[in-house]
Amino acid sequence: MVLVLAIGDLHIPHRAPDLPAKFKSMLVPGKIQHIICTGNLCIKEVHDYLKSLCPSLHVTRGEYDEDSRYPETKTITIGQFKLGLCHGHQVVPWGDLDSLAMLQRQLDVDILVNGHTHQFKAYKHEAGVVINPGSATGAYSSVTYDVNPSFVLMDIDGLRVVVYVYELIDGEVKVDKIDFKKTSTATI
Amino acid sequence: MPPAALVVPTAKTSPESSLSAESSPERGDLGKNRGFWDLRGVQWRTDLGVLPSSSSVDDVRRVTANTRRSYAALRRRLLIDPLIPKDGSNFPDPVMDNPLSQDPDSMWGRFFQKAELEKMVDQDLSRLYPEHGSYFQTPGCQGMLRRIVLLWCISHPSYGYRQGMHELLAPLLYVLQADVERLSAVRKLYEHYFTDNFDGLVFDNTDSAYRSHLKQIPQHIENHTEIQEDQVKFNNLYELDPKIQTIISFSDAYGAEGELGIVLSEKFMEHDTYCMFDALMNGSGGAVSMASFFSLCPLNGPQNGLPPVIEASSTLYHLLAIVDSSLYTHFTELGVEPQYFALRWLRVLFGREFALEDLLVIWDEIFSFDNTRLNSENDSEVLNSSRGAFIAALAVSMILYIRSSILATETATCCLQRLLNFPQDVNLGKLLKKAKSLVNIAINAMRSVPPRMYSDGIHESVKPMGFSIHSLPSNAAPPGSPLSVVRDSYWEEKWRVLHEEEKKQTTPLKQSQSQRKGWSEKVKSRLLRTESDPSSSKAYSEKRGPSRRVRRNLLDDLARQLGLEEETDCEKAVCGNGGSEENSSILSDPPSPIGGVNDDNDNDNENDNEIDSEQSSVASNILVDEPEPKPEPESSTAADSGNAIQEVDENGPVPVSDGPEDATLLKGVENEESVGKSGLNLKDRIILSGKQWFWKFGKNNGDRFLEKAGDSTNSSLVGHDQKGDMDKGESVNQNKICSLKNLGQSMVENLQVIESVFQQEKGETGHVDNLSKKALVDRGQMTAMAALKELRKISNILSEM
Repeated sequence: MVLVLAIGDLHIPHRAPDLPAKFKSMLVPGKIQHIICTGNLCIKEVHDYLKSLCPSLHVTRGEYDEDSRYPETKTITIGQFKLGLCHGHQVVPWGDLDSLAMLQRQLDVDILVNGHTHQFKAYKHEAGVVINPGSATGAYSSVTYDVNPSFVLMDIDGLRVVVYVYELIDGEVKVDKIDFKKTSTATI
Repeated sequence: MPPAALVVPTAKTSPESSLSAESSPERGDLGKNRGFWDLRGVQWRTDLGVLPSSSSVDDVRRVTANTRRSYAALRRRLLIDPLIPKDGSNFPDPVMDNPLSQDPDSMWGRFFQKAELEKMVDQDLSRLYPEHGSYFQTPGCQGMLRRIVLLWCISHPSYGYRQGMHELLAPLLYVLQADVERLSAVRKLYEHYFTDNFDGLVFDNTDSAYRSHLKQIPQHIENHTEIQEDQVKFNNLYELDPKIQTIISFSDAYGAEGELGIVLSEKFMEHDTYCMFDALMNGSGGAVSMASFFSLCPLNGPQNGLPPVIEASSTLYHLLAIVDSSLYTHFTELGVEPQYFALRWLRVLFGREFALEDLLVIWDEIFSFDNTRLNSENDSEVLNSSRGAFIAALAVSMILYIRSSILATETATCCLQRLLNFPQDVNLGKLLKKAKSLVNIAINAMRSVPPRMYSDGIHESVKPMGFSIHSLPSNAAPPGSPLSVVRDSYWEEKWRVLHEEEKKQTTPLKQSQSQRKGWSEKVKSRLLRTESDPSSSKAYSEKRGPSRRVRRNLLDDLARQLGLEEETDCEKAVCGNGGSEENSSILSDPPSPIGGVNDDNDNDNENDNEIDSEQSSVASNILVDEPEPKPEPESSTAADSGNAIQEVDENGPVPVSDGPEDATLLKGVENEESVGKSGLNLKDRIILSGKQWFWKFGKNNGDRFLEKAGDSTNSSLVGHDQKGDMDKGESVNQNKICSLKNLGQSMVENLQVIESVFQQEKGETGHVDNLSKKALVDRGQMTAMAALKELRKISNILSEM
């Protein structure tokens, strides 16, 4: 029962000052085993904060990140699942499912986590699952100003992953739950 | 079951496993006329009340089966995996039940709590009995112990897990293991009788065994004569040694309740151990329940004021005083409190003082005593049964055993060292004999002495405050209600706070307001409790009359000074715009529960006037409040400056003798002054609270002492609620800076408390009788401990922030 936090596009301090207080109160150290971050943190302090929540932190480079040493893409194996991480601004058209599927095949992963659009998405298609945790601070994106703060917590348990989506809508935290099952241990 | 003659068990009861078979001659002497000879597990189960003491095998088997079934049900219920939605019909709402949810009652919250509990338990288990590690450290055994402890703690959330429970549990499992090994030994010897007797026909256990039996027939024919002799000998079950009979009929798979009823069974060791542990902890309806030794709350609600361990230790001391007064006076001279060593002795039932083999013998003795309550009216007495008396007697005889070395010690630490390092090679026989001789004395002692030695009105101690700091929010409700197995973490507390606030839909101002109010309520309820003891307080007031006026002047000055400061602060109203409104509302709140004493609608002006006018009576009332208000067990707060002030003030007017009293009171006054002086705008909240306290004392001058009982209960109830709020009322959203600074201030105050305690101890003269002095030292140390604990809490919270 591994808890993995998928979070990204915080744009601190340029577009947002901090995480919403309700999110911050929920993110306490000790519960989460891994954090994967799609990018655009942007500064080191945010990196340190995330590191304080969980020592196992994986970040990919977003176009506004001040630390240029983050990789463009990353693959991580957690339990039976292979997770791919990428910011998504490299994949054009932004947010397009087919292009992302191409990236997923390229990385050969079961779950692809990407950001940049600042909109939460979770799709399952024939090759696997694509998750976009959205923007955790609700920062405006290159495309739209209407952004709800959101992030994703994945609970990986054997061949099953439960995706909890936390969104801040009208000042209230709404949680939603999606179940994905991997059909076999071999790559789908 | 035919009663046995006085049989000295020749076969060693210790199994061949990890122990070296020491044969101490004393154990042989202690052969007794018991029902189950060397089947310790069964004997203990009977003694503890798990098994009925009836002699019919069927009854025993039936009860065994029932207890096992209940345990199995419990296990199934509690060890669930939060992830797996069994039916799918009870899909929890994701808002409530997600992994990050702060709600401690959600499935995930409980899961994380259980994980924390497991971590604690594992830590202790890994250090259990390392010298017998070959049994106790095996993963199978550890797994069983862990499960049992976890299940017990989850089903008794009010106790939680305390260190020492695993040490109580380990010997229980051990004796069951010993029984099972004895069973297998007997099996080997008397194989013939363990074959299945289904419908009167004799079948071998397995088919393959049957076939091998066939093979052996030619051999049998060869050994025909021998076999015939054997068969002649063992044809009749009843010709066997009765011990063996018992064992066989207990393990007959076709007896009552089938396999579940096999009394000595390896498969159900966990179940049986759990039942024994439960019975031991609960006391099976008798007086001595081990769980009470682990609990921090006093047994009969907050009025008693003493945790059960302290009571038991004092009973012990009392018995010692009767038996050997010189040793008792030696202890009291050195200032050795009984609970320093008795805590460990009692909580683990002497498990740490003796080697395992000796311990088993001792527990044999302890369990053989009946546990039914002796005096029914004396419900509060914690050792109130013959078993309890024997425990006390055993402790006293242990002390007497090392009498000479104790009398030789000169300091308290030295004395405690001797006591806590009890010699390993002990003549158990002598010890137990002496203990048994003291049992009757102990029983009489318990009957004659009033149950609570320290609970006269004068010396209500604040000890529970020190202890209850441990269990913070779980003591906010009355002690019986289970809140959490593990203490709620900081964030979970906050979550509860936030959600309660939202439920009430109060303004954000209410948070800080309720915090202050809660503090004032708490003080008020303490006050009212004091008032419900009019006689004692009156007596004290008379005694203290002459010295009162001296101090009045000092306090007058202080109060006036605080009043002045408060006026200026009222104008400033730093903490939020509604500061002055808060003042008036807070100050107007207390009068209403006190029975609508005065003006209900105060404005600031009136407040100031009242405060000024009451200052003179304030001083006198502080002193009159000397009989310490009975502390509530829930008087625990985190970094609340109000609490610190209270401690300060309680230490101030502590009565010991006239001389040092001045010093202490001055110290208390100094503390209060420093409170007033340091940092106006930061501390106006504290000052305000201090002022309220003074003011309320003013209100409760003289004629107020005969307070209506109804009001006191009302306000104490309100005090409960408010304090519950206040406990959790640290405002997260607002006034973070204020709270930080309050934290700092309360740290300073706690330090001052500790200082004052030490000073007070130094200034003590010994002419007061021993009891009160002990209580005083206790109290002082307890307050110091409480202050220290608060400091720790503060530092934790600060680091989290």
